[in-house]
Amino acid sequence: MEFTLLWAALTAIGFSWIGTRLWSDRLPDHPTDRLIGAAVGGLVVGRLVAMMLQGINPLVNPLDIIIVRGGVHTGAASIGAIVTYLWADKWRIADLDATAPAAVLGLAGWHAGCLWRGACLGTASGLPWAWAEPGSAVTRHPVELYAAAGLILAAWLVSRLPWRLLTRAGAALALVGLVRLLTEPMRPSLTGGPVGWYLAAVAFGGLAVWLGPRLVGHRITAPT
Amino acid sequence: MPNRNGQSFTMLKRSIVLTLILAACGGTATAGPEDVGGRPDLPATTADEFEAHIGGIDRPAVVNVWASWCLPCRSEAPLLNQAFEQYGSQIEFIGVDVQDNQTDAKAFLAEFGLEFDHFFDRDREVVNFYAGIGTPVTFFFAPNGELFKTHSGILDERTLALNIDELLQLGS
Repeated sequence: MEFTLLWAALTAIGFSWIGTRLWSDRLPDHPTDRLIGAAVGGLVVGRLVAMMLQGINPLVNPLDIIIVRGGVHTGAASIGAIVTYLWADKWRIADLDATAPAAVLGLAGWHAGCLWRGACLGTASGLPWAWAEPGSAVTRHPVELYAAAGLILAAWLVSRLPWRLLTRAGAALALVGLVRLLTEPMRPSLTGGPVGWYLAAVAFGGLAVWLGPRLVGHRITAPT
Repeated sequence: MPNRNGQSFTMLKRSIVLTLILAACGGTATAGPEDVGGRPDLPATTADEFEAHIGGIDRPAVVNVWASWCLPCRSEAPLLNQAFEQYGSQIEFIGVDVQDNQTDAKAFLAEFGLEFDHFFDRDREVVNFYAGIGTPVTFFFAPNGELFKTHSGILDERTLALNIDELLQLGS
């Protein structure tokens, strides 16, 4: 991992730590550690899947896994992070609700970390706050800062939701997908971006909000 | 708490096994020498020859410096392929293989199917001429060979897409 990515990662950790301080109700112990662990788990899974889709065999080229800039599969990384979190938390699903606002704020930090990486800019724009790459006359949307602002708002909204099973976690997933979906058209891309995964996040998040409270009393206990 | 530790250790073992199974499903991609026998050697170039070549191209160009031994080059190769397929009609894509040997270079090209033009620059003359640092490094040229931007290190999708967009704006 090169240093600019490391700074962005540290910004994400800082934001999630602030989130755990702002919204500390019902949090499990060591919430920031758990979020870092989940992020690392997601990163490993997402990178492995990206490598396989690129035709690079991780067994033949195991060191390629550290080349994070080579690509991380968004959907696999998201699923990997959620599963890692739940596994480390002994599958206490209700804890997802408590950690959700801090997780979303951490993601906002990751996007805001574009300032360290010099990677905030997106498609060309004539808006007054647009700026240009060094040596270029083309001003562009600071799309990653839009995403960061959207995710900060999303974290706050999630923190205001009632304590029902999967309501906060589902809403967080849906709102993260929505923010990425709205900003994706302004993001430079060769592939059009993982729009399908963002739509899936919105759909599954919404489903979790609807389904979660109905699961209480079956095998899962409600948040206390 | 021995039970918790034991359980965690079992889960860890399961995770490692799952990771290895997933990894084994990846494409086996290393081409053997027999796969590259039919491919001609990469043409050798000097800094002067390359400058003349790039100066004669009337559209923007992306010049990627790579080597078969370079780990990050493996990760960015599929991305370059994708960009070539998408923008090959508007932008010239050129590869420069440095500090390498022909056999390994051809195996690398066969492995990733990089079908744009490549040059062989054993002594890094071209890279040094344009003041590039390390491998990989990617040069973005305006039409007629004016160096627009140098990106040292691995390319990610955003960086490549953004710089291609900049080149297209220059060309229009």
